[in-house]
Amino acid sequence: MNLTPSVLDLNWAEAETKIKRFIKDYVENSKAKGIVLGLSGGIDSSTAAALSALAIGGKKVLGLLMPEKETYNKRDIEDAKLVAEKFGLKTEIIDITPALEAIQKTIPAFNPEDKMCKGNLKARIRMVYLYYYANRLNLIVCGSSDKSETMIGYFTKWGDAAADIAPLMDLYKTQVRKLAEHIGLPREIAQKPSSPSLWPGQMAEEEIGIKYETLDLILYGLEHFMKTEEIARQLGLEKVTVDKVKNRWKSMEHKRRMPLTTKIQYRTAGFDFRLPHHSMTH
Amino acid sequence: MKEKFKIALAQISCRREDKKANLQKIEEYAKKAKKQNAELVVFPELSLTGYTVRDEIYELAEKIPGPSTRIIEKLAKEIGIHIIFGMPELSEKTEATVYNSAVLVGPKGFIGKYRKMYLPTHSVFEEKRYFRPGYDVGAFETELGKIGLTICYDIFFPEVIRLTRLEGAKLIVCISASPAIRRTYFETLTTARAIENAAFIAYVNLVGLEDGLQFWGGSRLIGPNGNITAKAEYDEENLVVGEIDYADIRPVEIFVPTLRDLRPEIFEKLKVKTETL
Repeated sequence: MNLTPSVLDLNWAEAETKIKRFIKDYVENSKAKGIVLGLSGGIDSSTAAALSALAIGGKKVLGLLMPEKETYNKRDIEDAKLVAEKFGLKTEIIDITPALEAIQKTIPAFNPEDKMCKGNLKARIRMVYLYYYANRLNLIVCGSSDKSETMIGYFTKWGDAAADIAPLMDLYKTQVRKLAEHIGLPREIAQKPSSPSLWPGQMAEEEIGIKYETLDLILYGLEHFMKTEEIARQLGLEKVTVDKVKNRWKSMEHKRRMPLTTKIQYRTAGFDFRLPHHSMTH
Repeated sequence: MKEKFKIALAQISCRREDKKANLQKIEEYAKKAKKQNAELVVFPELSLTGYTVRDEIYELAEKIPGPSTRIIEKLAKEIGIHIIFGMPELSEKTEATVYNSAVLVGPKGFIGKYRKMYLPTHSVFEEKRYFRPGYDVGAFETELGKIGLTICYDIFFPEVIRLTRLEGAKLIVCISASPAIRRTYFETLTTARAIENAAFIAYVNLVGLEDGLQFWGGSRLIGPNGNITAKAEYDEENLVVGEIDYADIRPVEIFVPTLRDLRPEIFEKLKVKTETL
C-alpha cells in the first residue's frame, strides 16, 4: 500500500449521505425531538452541526455556544454564528465562566497553575450543559469527535467525547475538512487550525507535535495493519515518531471504552454481555 | 417443472428482535411479489429477526419447522408462491445451539433448509460466537427446478457454490446481510459465481441501519453469462422482479464449458493443501 495523501480521499457525497442517514435513523428510532450539540466555531463541531441540520432540518438542531473568559475568542463565536445561520440552527449562548469559577472554588485541591486539569474541567462542564438540555428537551447529544483525535486520545475523557452519537468518529481530521467543504462550510472554517481551546493559545498540531496531514497518514497505515517501520519509510519519518503515535494509539484505549471492571460473575458488562445497541435517549 | 418463471428480490430492512413486525413485512412483500406474477420471492439473511441481535439470538432462535416457519408456510400456501427467508435456527437436539439458516417453502409447504457453512468472524462480524456452521450444501427439488441456498459469506468460497451447482441447482440463491464497505466484493463475486458455474445467481441483501452498520442493498439477479438482469436500488427498501429462463444456461455452458472442464484431481490436492495451510 502506498501511503500517499490520496488514500484518504473518499467519495464525499457518499460519506455525506451515510452520515446524514445515520443521524436521521438514530433520531427517529430514539423518538427524540432533535439534536443538541456544542458549537465552538471549530471545524469538527461546525461539520457535525451542519450535517445534523442537513439530516433532520436546522429547526430541530440546537447549538450551544459555551464560551468562557480565559479562552474567549471573538472569531470563534462569529464562526459558530455563521454556521448556525447558514444551516438554520437554533442557538443559545451560555457563558460557562460563573459555573467554572463556582466549581473551582469548591474544590479544595484546585490548582490554577495546572492548566490541563482546569481545561478538562471546562470540557466536562460543557458536557453537563449539553446533557441538561438533552434531558429537558428530549434531544440527542451529538458529539463531534473525529477519528484522528479519537485514535490518539486527544480529547477529555467524559468531556467533549461524551455524547449519544458521534457521526464524525470514523473520519480523520483532514477528511472532516474535505467533507466540510463538500457540504458548503466556508473555507475559512474548514481550514481553520484546530484547537480544543482548553487554555489560551492551545493549538492542536503544536501540542500533538505533528501535522494532521502526517498524523492521519500514520493512523491510516496503523488502521490497515501496516508495520511502523514501513509507515516511517514511506512517509520519510523517523521510526521513533511513528512508534510514538502507535504507543499513544494503544495506550488511549481506556478513553475509548466504558470503564473496565474485573470479571466476577456469569455475564459482565463490557466483557460478555453483548446486547444489540438500540437508538435511545438517556 | 417450470423452465421459465419470475423471481422477486425483496430487499427489506428489518426491525431487530421483532419477529411479528418482520413477518408482517414478509407477508406484505410476498403479496406484492405475487401481484407482479413472481413465483418465488427471496428475503435477506436473518430477515425474521434482523442481523445484529447478538446475545438475543438465544431468545429469538426457533426450530424448523416451528412457529415462524408455519406462518410463512401458511402464507406461501395462501397466496401460492415460493418463499426463501433467513432465520436463526435452534437445533432439534439441544437447547441453545443455533444455526444461521435459510428456509425454502412453497405453495405445498416446507421444502428445505440450509445452514450457513461459512460464518464470518472478523472485522465487525462475530458469527462463530453465536452459530454452529452447517456441514452440507443445500439444493432442493421444487416445481421451479432445483434451487440452491447459500448465505452471504459463503459466496467468498467458490467450492460451496460449485458443490451446490454440482448437486444440480441451476438457480443458486444467496441471501445476505452485507454492510456498505463490502459492496465491491459482493458485486464482483456474485457475477463470478454465476459465470463460473453457468448458473443463475439471485443475491438478496438487507438494507437499513443496525448498530451503526449500514447495509447496502443492491440485490440482483445474474444470468449464467454474468449479465445482471434485475437490480434493486442501493440502500433503500425495494422489490424487483426478474425472469429466470433455464434455456439460457445451455448456450453459455457450450460457449464457456467450465463444468465440462472440471478437474476432480485438483480437488484432492486442494483438500490436502487446505489441511496443511
